[in-house]
Amino acid sequence: MSIYKRAVERPITTAMVFTGIIVMGIYSIIYIPIALFPDMEPPSVTVMTVYSGAGASDIEKNVTRPMEDALNTVENLKEISSVSSDNLSVINLEFEWGINLDEATNEIRDVLDLVRNGLPEDVERPTIFKFNTSMIPILFYAVTADESYAGLDRILEDQIINPLNRIEGIGSVSLIGTPERRIYVEVDPVRLAAWNLTIEQIGNAIRAENMNLPAGNLKMGMMDYQLRVEGEFAESRELGELVVSQFGGKSVLLRDVAQVRDSLKDMSIIERINGRKGMRMFVMKQSGANTVRIAQDVKDAISELKADLPPDVEIREILDTSVFINQSVNNLSQTMLWAILFVIIVVRFFLGKWRATFIVMIAIPISLIVAFIYLFLIGGTLNVISLSAMAIALGMVVDDAIVVLENISRHVERGTSAREASIYATNEVWLAVIVTTMVIVAVFFPLTLLGGMTGVLFTQLGWIVTITVVTSTTVAITLTPMMSSKLFTARREKTRRLSGINNFIETLHTRMADAYETSMRNALLNRKKVLAASLLVFVASLLLLNFVSTEFMPEADESQIRITAELTTGLRVEEADKVARRMESIVRERYPEIEIMAISSGSDDAGGMLSMFMQTGSNIVNQMMRLVPVTERERSVWDIMSDMRAQLDGIPEIVSYSVSSGGGEGMSRNTVDVEIYGYDFDVTSRFAADMEARIASIDGAEDVQVSRKEDRPELQITLDRKKLAENGLNTAMVSNAVRNRVAGLTTSVLREEGYEYDIVVRYDERFRNSISDLEDIALVNAAGRLVPLSEIGTVDEYWNPPSIERKRRERVVTVSAVPAGISLGDLAGSIRSIIDETDLPAGVTVNVGGAYEDMADSFTDLGLLLLLSLILVFLVMASQFESFVMPFVIMFSIPFAFTGVILALFLTGTTLSVIAGLGAVLLIGIVVKNGIVLIDYINLMRDRGQTLDEAIIAACRSRLRPVLMTAMTTILAMLPLALSGGEGAETWRPMGVALVGGLLFSTAVTLILIPVVYALFSRRGERDKLQKLREKFTFLDEQQECGEAS
Amino acid sequence: MKAVMITYNQTLNDKIEFILDRLDIRGFTRWNEIDGRGSETGNPRMGTHTWPERNDATLVVIPDDKVDALLGCIRAVDELNTGVGIRAFVWNVERSY
Repeated sequence: MSIYKRAVERPITTAMVFTGIIVMGIYSIIYIPIALFPDMEPPSVTVMTVYSGAGASDIEKNVTRPMEDALNTVENLKEISSVSSDNLSVINLEFEWGINLDEATNEIRDVLDLVRNGLPEDVERPTIFKFNTSMIPILFYAVTADESYAGLDRILEDQIINPLNRIEGIGSVSLIGTPERRIYVEVDPVRLAAWNLTIEQIGNAIRAENMNLPAGNLKMGMMDYQLRVEGEFAESRELGELVVSQFGGKSVLLRDVAQVRDSLKDMSIIERINGRKGMRMFVMKQSGANTVRIAQDVKDAISELKADLPPDVEIREILDTSVFINQSVNNLSQTMLWAILFVIIVVRFFLGKWRATFIVMIAIPISLIVAFIYLFLIGGTLNVISLSAMAIALGMVVDDAIVVLENISRHVERGTSAREASIYATNEVWLAVIVTTMVIVAVFFPLTLLGGMTGVLFTQLGWIVTITVVTSTTVAITLTPMMSSKLFTARREKTRRLSGINNFIETLHTRMADAYETSMRNALLNRKKVLAASLLVFVASLLLLNFVSTEFMPEADESQIRITAELTTGLRVEEADKVARRMESIVRERYPEIEIMAISSGSDDAGGMLSMFMQTGSNIVNQMMRLVPVTERERSVWDIMSDMRAQLDGIPEIVSYSVSSGGGEGMSRNTVDVEIYGYDFDVTSRFAADMEARIASIDGAEDVQVSRKEDRPELQITLDRKKLAENGLNTAMVSNAVRNRVAGLTTSVLREEGYEYDIVVRYDERFRNSISDLEDIALVNAAGRLVPLSEIGTVDEYWNPPSIERKRRERVVTVSAVPAGISLGDLAGSIRSIIDETDLPAGVTVNVGGAYEDMADSFTDLGLLLLLSLILVFLVMASQFESFVMPFVIMFSIPFAFTGVILALFLTGTTLSVIAGLGAVLLIGIVVKNGIVLIDYINLMRDRGQTLDEAIIAACRSRLRPVLMTAMTTILAMLPLALSGGEGAETWRPMGVALVGGLLFSTAVTLILIPVVYALFSRRGERDKLQKLREKFTFLDEQQECGEAS
Repeated sequence: MKAVMITYNQTLNDKIEFILDRLDIRGFTRWNEIDGRGSETGNPRMGTHTWPERNDATLVVIPDDKVDALLGCIRAVDELNTGVGIRAFVWNVERSY
């Protein structure tokens, strides 16, 4: 028994099956997390290694390179890049999509264990993070405190950061600008020399005194006593009383030679939140973890943990990237509701009956709900892509139900009882319904096979549309007949009474059909002219394509702006802060849209977490701003940004700056990157500077940046080996000695309430702030005599890059530019031609990458996808019509869909992005479907014996309604997308625009051009068939009694 | 005894069954899903894409006095909508077992 018959005969079973699906769907909806995009971050791991005191080039040579070489063997590694800066080596490993990050991390750990032996001794254990440092933290908090300020780092560490780190999916929680307690022993070298002491001796004395030691146990009488020697300092004040030496029978106390300061660590960062001093806490998520869920977990945790904090500590949220995601998804969901409403109106308009409309509408929630079940099962998210997919499917899921319902109601109007009509009418059309669905599947299924970045974006889309349309077909041949059999009543008369609105609809439809018939007759008389005119339009539209600019992904207004301004190299943090304050006041004056801002100048602790994420240095000002929601302001983020650029140009201290917006969720900015590979710093830097100047001269290139920062002045001590040898010293001894005096010697820790605070011995600042101070540093030679540094070496000033970037295990400098007013593709083109004109210096290779590279890859993928879709659609149609010609006739409408897309993009000024391109590919299925409906009916009419022209006219007249209806449902479902504004609308609007434009245009073309082309192709077809049949039976003509052929 | 062959659009099946019950005709033979074409007006019922509908045929052998009633009922069904299609043909039954 057929499925539809079973469905009609067992209505309760049918109802229960679909109710079950709905229940499962609702369960799924509750548990599907929200995200902006499908998980499109390439899995990446960061290995951070601290080598205190080493310069960038030392780090590169001794740490980064050996580690890179070893890590390069890790499986599924896609790209390896690194930044070596002072004290710190950061290696980013990017993996192929879909690998298991945990396995990769284990392998990395193994490799690191092997390589550790080859690294310098003082290198700290490498730390592995499961995220990419180029990703933006998902949450920023501002923390302020009054009385508790001094102990804030401990409080936050224990009460906030540790509990937060336990949340699943957290990459790290870090603090910027925290005060950290430290005990400084600041030595006066003159006094030290007077007592004949060295800093190392002081250090040893402290270390030797500050200890507790178990000394065994003692049995006395019946008891067993533990024996301990206790020497640890209870508080920092005791340090000053420490006897460090005996001199001439007199004890030398520490306070005689040094000043003990129990204070906060030297700050080299100034952090301000809305003008107030404070600190920032930021949360990174792990690669691939869900932003919205983690942000929610963190927020919940913090609001709970807040209660235990001292009352003066205040934690405020500055930035929450999940807000934008939530708003976008909500916005899109609302758009979808509009789309559903529009579809209902269209269906009601064409069907003219609420009851029928209701039956058709049931297909929408059921089909969409199955998509939710799919998302739930694969662990997917509700994101812009999956919701767009549902919006696309929305217009199509009603089509099948409409076809079935129309046929059923035709039977019912003939007087057939509802039950019989439901079964037999479905029987008549079910195959046709499945074939049209297959056409749609043929277009969308290849999406699931895409690889790379585009693949990640569109696999979900492909599956969702495929699943929803297949579900809708299933609904159409089971639930629709079942419900029709229950809800329809057989009518006695053929004519039905028409109420006001229906009457209007009927009149309108008749008029439209009449007008269409007239124009169709004209078109059939001028077949060639129509064809020529159409081709002309198509070619003209291709020319128009030159005026449509291209980009990779449309950038969304995420209500965030970040500025990184670089001041004169080597500037003190105090000076940088002055500029920062000026920037702050400009922002407050000119941009009332800014809701909250955090500005920091200078860098935190050397080798701290922050330097992994932001460009830091005493001369760097980082400013982060959040704007009020899009709907509440007139200026867009980009308007404000360009005004900011103009303002920043007016601050003379700023050497270079970059103004960027949002860019969260692993999306790279729309930049063209010129990667310059080469070992020699001078050559590559010079070439990069040259490129920078040339690119900056391109019209529409903004924010031109060279990734390698300007050389920084450094002081270098060059030792004379001969003199060293004479004094019985070596480089290691000298460098250690200098390090202990300037950076300080961490001798021991002060334990207080279970916490440990470093005790650092070093020269008082007064004795280490000039080159002559350095030269005066006294070292003890082999003979025990003090030798000043100037005697064994010289102190020179020279320039060195502050950080060394590497990619693919080669040194790299990136010159990046952002397009403004021109498209990414055009900018890349201009840059390429500049590179082609330039002679590359020896040993330098250049690669143009960045978002442009992704765009080029994606467009290639889309091109292949287009080809694959065309082939599949052809296969399906050729088998449906059992003809090679018919598919071509129908496919004639496809170019005009693209004409429509180009026109729509041109008229609305939308750029051709991957999203718009995808819209164009998707059109194939929808457009072809309309063509099939028309051609199929013309064939039918001809099979039923009508002449070619009459068949065409009759088919056109009769199919006008279904064609318009399918087109209108899809167009109106897409219209809210095309018109929507608000958060994130920039992302999906191009798809809406492309689909609406393409469909409007191609529907018009389908209605006129396709019948004309059909007429041109099959002028003789039917007559020939009859002739052939006669020839087969000529033997009958020879027989007299058989009569004459009619 | 007369044999009545009723060929009709399969969507009328429920009505035929009802008529047979109403006239107390118990025995029948039915062919499902068969093709056919009307002599004058009836559209072909071929189950193809062009002519998707199908016919059923029911053969009943009934006493002579029931024939008029049956044909009357069938006419009533046909008059509901002539486009659907139903016809009945009557012939003599020589012998039966």
